[in-house]
Amino acid sequence: MAHSPETPGTFDNLRLELRRGCLVLAVLAELRSEQYGYTLRKALGERGMAIDEGTLYPLLRRLESQRLLVSEWREVDKRNKRFYRLSPDGKLILKQLLAEWQSINRSLNGIL
Amino acid sequence: MELLDRYLQAVKFWLPPMQKQDIIEELSEDIRSQIEEKETELGRKLNRGEVETILKRLGRPVLVASRYSPQQYLIGPLQFPIYRLVLQIVALCYLVPWVLVWIVIITMDPDYPTRHAGGSLLRALASLWGPLWLTAFFAVGAVTITFAVLERVQAKSGFLEEWDPGKLPAVRDPNRISRAASIFELAAGTVFAVWWVQLRSPIVLGQSVRITLAPVWQYFFWGFLILILIHIAASGVNLLRPYWTRARAGMRLATDTAGAALFCWLCRAEVLAAISVSTVAPAKTVEITNAINLWMSRSFPIAVIVAVVIAAFDLHRMIRVKTTDPRLAGGVAAGGWPTSALS
Repeated sequence: MAHSPETPGTFDNLRLELRRGCLVLAVLAELRSEQYGYTLRKALGERGMAIDEGTLYPLLRRLESQRLLVSEWREVDKRNKRFYRLSPDGKLILKQLLAEWQSINRSLNGIL
Repeated sequence: MELLDRYLQAVKFWLPPMQKQDIIEELSEDIRSQIEEKETELGRKLNRGEVETILKRLGRPVLVASRYSPQQYLIGPLQFPIYRLVLQIVALCYLVPWVLVWIVIITMDPDYPTRHAGGSLLRALASLWGPLWLTAFFAVGAVTITFAVLERVQAKSGFLEEWDPGKLPAVRDPNRISRAASIFELAAGTVFAVWWVQLRSPIVLGQSVRITLAPVWQYFFWGFLILILIHIAASGVNLLRPYWTRARAGMRLATDTAGAALFCWLCRAEVLAAISVSTVAPAKTVEITNAINLWMSRSFPIAVIVAVVIAAFDLHRMIRVKTTDPRLAGGVAAGGWPTSALS
């Protein structure tokens, strides 16, 4: 079946692709201060970068395996929570990624 | 929270073994936080339906768990187009001959269903297709396993990354006629024509065999002779000007269709009138004559199928030439055709 460019599925897929790279940047930026998963998700949502659990937690694990984040379990309000924060490597990568993003943004603005 | 525990248990089942507990604790914490927040908002405990709504939004357990696993595939995107091509070749080389054999069995041996499937054509079909699927299953399985192994080897060796653009095949022009094919057609056509002109009734083989053909044979004799002479002439033109044009493709379609129609008629014409062999009793030669005519008549459906395939192939070539012939596209020499080659 042929889809028109206005088909919601097409837009959603392209939007997802566009947001995927930005989400990594947003997560890294947000974790300049320590947070656990649930509060991180809420913070991102409040800033217009909503992300579901199924995407956030695997992403956090991937970033941690790449040594961009560090995490530790701590008890808060009698519940165990896993806190994440940016590692020194993560800080460096975030700085580079932000410069790259700003460069892309400038280029796109020029094109648009 | 019994429903939540069941959900977490289902997710846990699909998680990577080394991380199961860690992931489940984190996920559990998040979902419990969501439930608590909702309960604070409503000022009461959530009922089963409301918990179900939260869990449904999270997604099916296997899907949630799959996001924590690395992407895995048996045959990756690099190998997949080659894998699909090989499967198509296997299907073509295996299925097509099989279907042809089946058609031959059914047409040549009408008693087959009676002997093998109690007279039911469908059951006969099933009895023939059973082994086909089993062998097809093994063929596809073997190809898949081979490519899965290649995928692993390729991932380690990276041989697909090393390539030379200079070794790419030359641009294929579907409308170009191979000179070798033209020479072969010319030679084969000439040999056939020389042989064919000797087939005048009665045909005498050695000193003991005499084959008498029915009067209708003259139509086939002259019909096939004219067609083969046209073929020889067309092959000569193709040799000198090796590009299909609409006129030549149309001519090939017409002669092939006429030849196929003539052959179909030949199958039903009972063209063999009598065979005489000095060392065989006349009653036996009559029996042989009738048997040959019967088998030719039974070949008729196969002849029709072959005729249709040939006509479809020629028609496809004619349409292709029509859409790519530069003279039909406003005289622009598209595709770098030498205009001198057009006739």
